[in-house]
Amino acid sequence: MKFPLLPSLFAAASAVLPVHGAADDPLAILEQNCLSCHNAHDAKGDVVFETAPIQIDDLSQILDSISGPDPEMPKDRDALSAAEVATLAKWIEAGAPIPEGRVLKDTYVPGRDWWSLQPIEQGQVADATHSNDPWVKNEIDAFVLAKLREKNLAPSPEAEPRVLVRRLYYDLTGLPPQPEEIDAFVTDYARDPEGTWAALVDRLLASPNYGEHWARHWLDVARYGETHGYDKDKPRPNAWPYRDYVIRSLNDDKPWSRFVREQIAGDVLFPGDPDGIVALGFIAAGPWDFIAHYEVGEKKVDGRIAKHMDRDDMVSATFNAFMSTTVQCAQCHHHKFDPVSMEDYYRLHAVFAAVDRAPRVYDLDPEVQRKRERLSVEIGKAEGAIKTLDQRIKNEGGPELARLRERIGVLKKAGAEGVKKDPAYGYHSQIVKSPDTEKWVQVDLGEPVAIEAIELIGAHDEFGGIGAGFGFPVRYRVEVADNLDFTENRRVIADRTDADQANPGIAPVRLAAKGETARYLRVTATRLAERKNDYILALGEIRVLDEAKTNLAAGRSVGALDSIEQGVRWGRKNLVDEKFATGGDPAAARELAELLEKERALLAKIDTPEMRDERAAHEANLAKLREQLGALPEGKLVYAAATHFRKFGNVVPTEGQPREIHLLQRGDIGSPGDLMHPGAPALWDGGTPEFDLSKDATEGEARAALANYLADPANPLTWRSVVNRLWLHHFGRGIVDSPNDFGRMGMAPTHPELLDFLAAKLRNDPDQSLKAIHRLIVTSATWRQASAHDPERAAVDANNAYYWRANRRRLSAEELRDSVLFVAGKLNPERGGPSFQDFVIEKPQHSPHYQYHLYDPDDPKTQRRSIYRMIVRSKTQPFLTTLDCADPSQMVAKRDETTTALQALALLNNPFMETMAGHLAERVESNPDPITAAFNRATGRAPHANERAALAAYAKTHGLANACRVILNLSEFAYVD
Amino acid sequence: MSIERRHFLAGLAGTFPGMALTDLLARDGVLSGTLHRPPRAKRVVQLFMAGAASHVDLFDHKPQLVKEHGQQWDPGEEVELFQSTPGASMKSVWDFQRYGNCGKAISDVVAPLGEVADDLAFVHNIVGKTGVHSQGTLLQTTGFNRPGFPSAGSWVSYALGSENENLPSFVVLPDHRGLASNGTKNWSSMFLPAEHQGTVIRPGAATPIDDLFPPEDSDYITPAADRDGLALLEKLNSGYATARPGDSRLTARIRSYELAARMQLSATEALDVSKEPQYIKDLYGLAPEGPGVDDTEINVKAETEFFGRKCLVARRLLERGVRFVQIWSGNDNGFPRRNWDSHENIERDHGPLARGMAVGAAGLIKDLKQRGMLDDTVILWTTEFGRMPCAQRGVGRDHNPFVFTNWLCGGGIRGGVTHGESDQWGFKPLDPDNPTQVYDIHATVLHLLGIDHERLTVRHNSIDRRLTDVHGHVIREIVA
Repeated sequence: MKFPLLPSLFAAASAVLPVHGAADDPLAILEQNCLSCHNAHDAKGDVVFETAPIQIDDLSQILDSISGPDPEMPKDRDALSAAEVATLAKWIEAGAPIPEGRVLKDTYVPGRDWWSLQPIEQGQVADATHSNDPWVKNEIDAFVLAKLREKNLAPSPEAEPRVLVRRLYYDLTGLPPQPEEIDAFVTDYARDPEGTWAALVDRLLASPNYGEHWARHWLDVARYGETHGYDKDKPRPNAWPYRDYVIRSLNDDKPWSRFVREQIAGDVLFPGDPDGIVALGFIAAGPWDFIAHYEVGEKKVDGRIAKHMDRDDMVSATFNAFMSTTVQCAQCHHHKFDPVSMEDYYRLHAVFAAVDRAPRVYDLDPEVQRKRERLSVEIGKAEGAIKTLDQRIKNEGGPELARLRERIGVLKKAGAEGVKKDPAYGYHSQIVKSPDTEKWVQVDLGEPVAIEAIELIGAHDEFGGIGAGFGFPVRYRVEVADNLDFTENRRVIADRTDADQANPGIAPVRLAAKGETARYLRVTATRLAERKNDYILALGEIRVLDEAKTNLAAGRSVGALDSIEQGVRWGRKNLVDEKFATGGDPAAARELAELLEKERALLAKIDTPEMRDERAAHEANLAKLREQLGALPEGKLVYAAATHFRKFGNVVPTEGQPREIHLLQRGDIGSPGDLMHPGAPALWDGGTPEFDLSKDATEGEARAALANYLADPANPLTWRSVVNRLWLHHFGRGIVDSPNDFGRMGMAPTHPELLDFLAAKLRNDPDQSLKAIHRLIVTSATWRQASAHDPERAAVDANNAYYWRANRRRLSAEELRDSVLFVAGKLNPERGGPSFQDFVIEKPQHSPHYQYHLYDPDDPKTQRRSIYRMIVRSKTQPFLTTLDCADPSQMVAKRDETTTALQALALLNNPFMETMAGHLAERVESNPDPITAAFNRATGRAPHANERAALAAYAKTHGLANACRVILNLSEFAYVD
Repeated sequence: MSIERRHFLAGLAGTFPGMALTDLLARDGVLSGTLHRPPRAKRVVQLFMAGAASHVDLFDHKPQLVKEHGQQWDPGEEVELFQSTPGASMKSVWDFQRYGNCGKAISDVVAPLGEVADDLAFVHNIVGKTGVHSQGTLLQTTGFNRPGFPSAGSWVSYALGSENENLPSFVVLPDHRGLASNGTKNWSSMFLPAEHQGTVIRPGAATPIDDLFPPEDSDYITPAADRDGLALLEKLNSGYATARPGDSRLTARIRSYELAARMQLSATEALDVSKEPQYIKDLYGLAPEGPGVDDTEINVKAETEFFGRKCLVARRLLERGVRFVQIWSGNDNGFPRRNWDSHENIERDHGPLARGMAVGAAGLIKDLKQRGMLDDTVILWTTEFGRMPCAQRGVGRDHNPFVFTNWLCGGGIRGGVTHGESDQWGFKPLDPDNPTQVYDIHATVLHLLGIDHERLTVRHNSIDRRLTDVHGHVIREIVA
């Protein structure tokens, strides 16, 4: 494929032309020139040169295709030299031998002889006559004028002040000016154009609206969304701090290299600065397959495939966004067009090999944060260990245990349905972190009495989904004694401390006392019941029965080691108030008790003392860890790249230990090749493909190396990439109109010298200020031209590639929505913080349904700027999607601009539009000329007499709201001249 | 659409970007008038069973499972499943009978499809990439197992355009109870122009198409205000456009409002099934009580009404020139199950879904046939993957991405054939070296539409993307 090359940029090309294989080695020639297509996998044209015998219909085909004046092969590449053709001819003559065992491999990697890989020039206008032209206001104009003259074109006159001010407001802030602001500007501009213009530019660049507007452009590229996407599409409640970080960084005019480096390795390069962590939201911003990571996990092949794709997303996003380089093409084979080998690509995987996407604390003292991270990881491990023990029990219990538990679950549920209980539940101890804490509760019977039997009745509380048997001790003994302290004549009625007891639910546990006479009765728990990651002793009732079955405990005094006295529900006296939960299905309760007993017996066989000890140790440890974590400040969370977090589902933190990354043949997880180390493609002189890291370098050092690579002043792509993005959003088209791809499959720059001038200016500016570039652009004569059509110039340059006029642009989906709110007087100015939801979430438990048609456009919370909208991946906002909003599951460098009937329907009929037209009418109705007022707000000018008359007549018949509906559908509202 | 893409699509490489946007609303596709081969079909219906339908209980008869039923399944290798470990072999919940001249064995639960067996071409050796729903769904709808790629329907719309400018060219009829994995990603146009994204229509709903009409509760928009407002808008927008010659977007915008008004009429008419004769409603299994039919518990009557109504509406849309209709059976993977992800109980959940699907699909095939439209309409039945030949907790089945079934019908498909078999259990392809992949199915559908799947490409981020990635072979054996 031939591209329009720019000769001046290719002076250096010959030095880096791809070197063909040694001209006398036929196999090297094949590997260098043929194997990228004629391998066993691709087998283009059913021709394969991988092993002997080669696969081709007729050997003579080879020579035919590579020789002659315009050889067919190698496709899209330079023809072979005469010497190379001769070498291959000899080889074919010899019968095209390939030694046994040798497998030829593609060795071709395209060279660096491409404009975007050349060093950034200072960018000077060759001919000073252009610079001195009176039209020229700054350097940009000189470059543009030079090109226009080259094409025999002339620039257009400056646009009307009224047009300029509206254009500037939209370009810098994404919102229209107020009519009063326009009028004031027009007056001042007539008096002092340059001073007025410069002041307005400064004011708008300093406005927080600037960051809110330009952040949208970056978030499009960063594929930012606030749900995971894929299956179940769960919300990401902590994604928004990254969005605010982008807005803040732009408003603060953060130096570009800092902005770049923070987003890849801010935690390492700027420790102690919260932005250094929040910025890592970039790496995590894309879609994430919850099921494949959380439910499947990396122990299974499907989970490893998902993790591979996950890293691919990080790698591609980084290179497309910051360097306009499509490294992802080298996943299955060397990049066919740009100098990126498979090794390069998998080295980048190695950079991201230790990170996952997870919530991460960002605002704490680094030392505290490290402690929190370590504790979170430790807690995850302890929980995992307990889970493993549970799983072992489950496995060893086999189907028998599974059946028992299933039935127990059913019975518990059935039991709960008919339960009657009094609000006074019973006795509840203080909460502790370890189950192996002894606790007791006792009843003073008032005087020594003969006891026939004792009944312990479990409490019932739905807390934590527990229900019947809430807090019932797992191990316990029941004793009687003659004194309060249990030091005199202490006798054991029942000892169930040697093994875990089945929970009886609310079925009374009857213990025979055989006529023991005593005044005090005590229940001592030696192993507590779990509540929710913590432990308690609770009982609904203790009944002490004599021979006549009279309850001797009723209303007696109760003592305990400790207790919670909370409202009506819990208190010591509730233990003997003769109020306890009853009911459910008695048959079910009996069966339940039996099954629980069976379960207990079965577990006793499986759960060895060693396992019990192990569990106890983990639980004690867990309690300690939780306590330590609880004592630390919590901090705020951002969803970001993370290495230390609490294990969730099957997502296990790497703790900074990188996963092993192998080159994957054909991108196939089942075909691993060499082990890869962190690095990045050597796209300019002086770069080395593998980072110079010590053997024991941390994963953070690898990311820092990549961050520094991206921000390297010698990097020819980073600086060109960003200034091109700025240019794109000011002019509607980039100097390079493939903003994510500066490679051979992308577009060539229309104004390469101008691009380099801007890139060098940004790079060399000590503040690396984007605002300085904006200022230069919007103060240029080029930007300030009128957008009017001119048939003669259009005949030369129909698409205005050389900027002989301004490009009229349509408002983006968000600009339009924000403007509707603004014009209607409803824009809620609240900045930052959690996103608003212009939908209602139904069925949040499993797969949330995001129901846009249920939201109320009159809810002020939803009337904020669109940048603060919660962006859902599985169901994009229908109104904005119709208006060509970016899809958050792909990197969008440039919005589409379609014109469809569905757009017209949305603008006419969407409830948001209907509501806001009504509000615009309310806003202007008390105005002496409401039609003019509404029209002026929407378009920035008063209507002409005939327009006003037509709208007024219509309003008279159908009301002002309908007239406002028409106004909000005007092309003039949706377009900026 | 980005100018960059339009530039490449139009084959203008070497000139500067951009082209006169002269006919923004033209409904021609990039291949209109320049198809790669004479087409056999003009339109496509994709029937998608969300959650993964069991091939062994519906279409892929496995006597071996009857023999082994209840014994521990032993495929002779370790198998890693999505949720469970392999249980006992489990025969189809339903018996199979042979149908038609071809004698194809089809399960009793989908017996209505037996009546059109001679029109169907089965492919029983489709393989997926993973057993993850989201990836499996995307793979079948877009040809890639990750988000970021246009739906097959978008590609067809992009290539062929629309036959009726008053209706969208790609229509999606989702399950009214919720969207399947990935939601709207399954019909999004991604890097193709947005006009090729699927337009959601909800047959039987109060608002079948978003924003087709003003909100019902509007206290000021009356039909007269609407009509007069459109006339006034045209006048004002024409004034704006006339003052700005050379910008075709502005005239296109005026036209988009005219088309919107016409779409209100066309879509309303297309969706109104009330005038369909009773025998047609019966053919599709519509319930007397309509879309409000009770489905508190999953049941055949309701599932038939839901799917049948979508099939009937699909026919009406196809008749009116819609190019690609995607019909969904089943919602997300939530509870209670209203999709095909029958881990818990094949009989309970597959039963009503399968019967409802079979009635609607068979009705659609017969109806298209009697109208002479089956000859140039391709129907593709698919799902994200299959289900295992072994049981999950006795009566359910886990995911099987290793092999599953598609069937095609109409539009140049050879009916009554089976191409590609699965092994004795329906676990893997019988010939593991020569499975069928989604690329082959898509290549075949494009082939029938007159499109060489290798030549329908769009450059995006350095790669000339196509529906079939770098794969795909037309399955000659099922093409008539």
